[in-house]
Amino acid sequence: ASEASEAQTLDSDDIIVTPQSQSCPKADSEKMCIEIVSLAFCPEAEVMSDENIQQVYVEYKFYDLPLSETETPVSLRKPRAGEEIHFHFNKVIDLDPVEQQGRRQFLFAMLHAQDPEEGRLKFTVVSDPLDEKNECQDVGYAYLELWQVLQSGSDILEQELKIVSPGDQAIQIGRLKVSLRAAAALHSIYKEMTEDLFS
Amino acid sequence: MGEPESLVPDTGAVFTFGKTKFAENIPSKFWFKNDIPICLSCGDEHTAIVTGNNKLYMFGSNNWGQLGLGSKSAISKPTCIKALKPEKVKLAACGRNHTLVSTDKGGVYAAGGNNEGQLGLGDTDDRDTFHQICFFTPKDSIKQLSAGANTSAALTEDGKLFMWGDNSEGQIGLKNKSNVCIPHEVTVGKPISWISCGYYHSAFVTTDGELYTFGEPENGKLGLPNQLLINHRSPQRVLGIPEKVLQVACGGGHTVVLTEKVVYAFGLGQFGQLGLGTFLFETSEPRVIECIKDQKISFISCGENHTALMTDVGLMYTFGDGRHGKLGLGMENFTNQFFPTLCCNFLKFTVQLIACGGCHMLVFATPRLDAIDESEFEE
Ligand SMILES: [Mg+2]
Ligand SMILES: [Mg+2]
Repeated sequence: ASEASEAQTLDSDDIIVTPQSQSCPKADSEKMCIEIVSLAFCPEAEVMSDENIQQVYVEYKFYDLPLSETETPVSLRKPRAGEEIHFHFNKVIDLDPVEQQGRRQFLFAMLHAQDPEEGRLKFTVVSDPLDEKNECQDVGYAYLELWQVLQSGSDILEQELKIVSPGDQAIQIGRLKVSLRAAAALHSIYKEMTEDLFS
Repeated sequence: MGEPESLVPDTGAVFTFGKTKFAENIPSKFWFKNDIPICLSCGDEHTAIVTGNNKLYMFGSNNWGQLGLGSKSAISKPTCIKALKPEKVKLAACGRNHTLVSTDKGGVYAAGGNNEGQLGLGDTDDRDTFHQICFFTPKDSIKQLSAGANTSAALTEDGKLFMWGDNSEGQIGLKNKSNVCIPHEVTVGKPISWISCGYYHSAFVTTDGELYTFGEPENGKLGLPNQLLINHRSPQRVLGIPEKVLQVACGGGHTVVLTEKVVYAFGLGQFGQLGLGTFLFETSEPRVIECIKDQKISFISCGENHTALMTDVGLMYTFGDGRHGKLGLGMENFTNQFFPTLCCNFLKFTVQLIACGGCHMLVFATPRLDAIDESEFEE
């Protein structure tokens, strides 16, 4: 359904709407959003039977951002067989063309990486021990290819990534659901950087 | 928010969070000239506001005609329902895609989706304007209205409860029918003081403080032991709560209960909507939300997957699904909350009304003269 015309908003004189605090929200080409949605483990994965692993969180690294901003603020109980745990942890990363050149260059380098290892965003599933004595331990990795987004020109919405074992990356231990809203920004970054190259 | 609170008049403002369809879904606020809200209700994607001057304002999605404006176009600004102006509107309740209102003359009106007879008009035809439900007469003074996915309820001042609409799960308390298009009385033989329709389950409280639940039995949202779930199509008393119950709020898969002393939660909590922490994602046994035990809670509201609590001094706690910023804790950077979380935005306000919907929340709050110091609330 289309939005109603102003003519339909009878009596709107009685209502006072305050101006937006963000009068012009940031353009899509000047930000990206990463959401860690949910995760599940394969029922037969070792992590399921490992009693030292009781709760987990997920983190990723992004250029200059401190980990405290890119890790889920809570650890959740380890999912049971067939269960999914839900973080809905959404982070908007400012990619202002003037103030955040460093981040834009960082993303461009990822898009251009020769080594596929460097062209992807790495998510780490971490076991958070219940007692202070034990240390956090990586239980799995998941990778998101950035060039996919640039190539397809569309955002990634709730895509399931394989979680692989840190010991043997050929072994899948679970699934991590993520969203990446970055198509407009990556397009703009790629255009801006390649224009620089050839001008 | 972030701008100076002085912008809000002493009479307060309505604050919007999540996918409201208002102000492009950016957290925003508005108020009425010479009028204040007295009742807020959120459906799946639409919102109703009744004001002190007894006017009804609606906005949001309208594909079923649930705004009652005679069209099916979405409306992004609160719009007065002029057709109801000859009567004084007292209450409104938004279901998933329909709306109920009651007026001072005892009339009950309905608009919107009607596939299960939830408009109470004797048929299953959708309406895009408000139609009076003939069943109710001026002698039925309406105390509370509630609406679920495709269900409707009206509670009278003398404690009689009437329900209609979808009964596929027994959520309007009839044993053998899949739906009814006219109100029927639901009774346990004593007066009822509070009703809440969830998406596919319902609950009410009797004046003597007993809680009854019925409807879809899955995921513990009825708060009943397994052996009682076979009778889920009839209201059954929840025995797991020893104190006197005052209010109940039903969401999509969860139920929250306010007693004289504490708040209980049960059902599904995969997004944190039970407020019971990061280890318990489902329970059929009512559990006390321990961490707000020292607060006196005066009102509870459940959206599909989130919950809001109001304290006696007008503070607000939210928890559950954080998507779209509907918890009022930030729009761009959000996360599910598994414990009640104080909405610091409202420390300088007294929260007066809260309504949680599918992916949104509305709050009416007035400026506080004596602002509360945030540090008082650090754990
Ligand atoms: Mg509702
Ligand atoms: Mg939702």
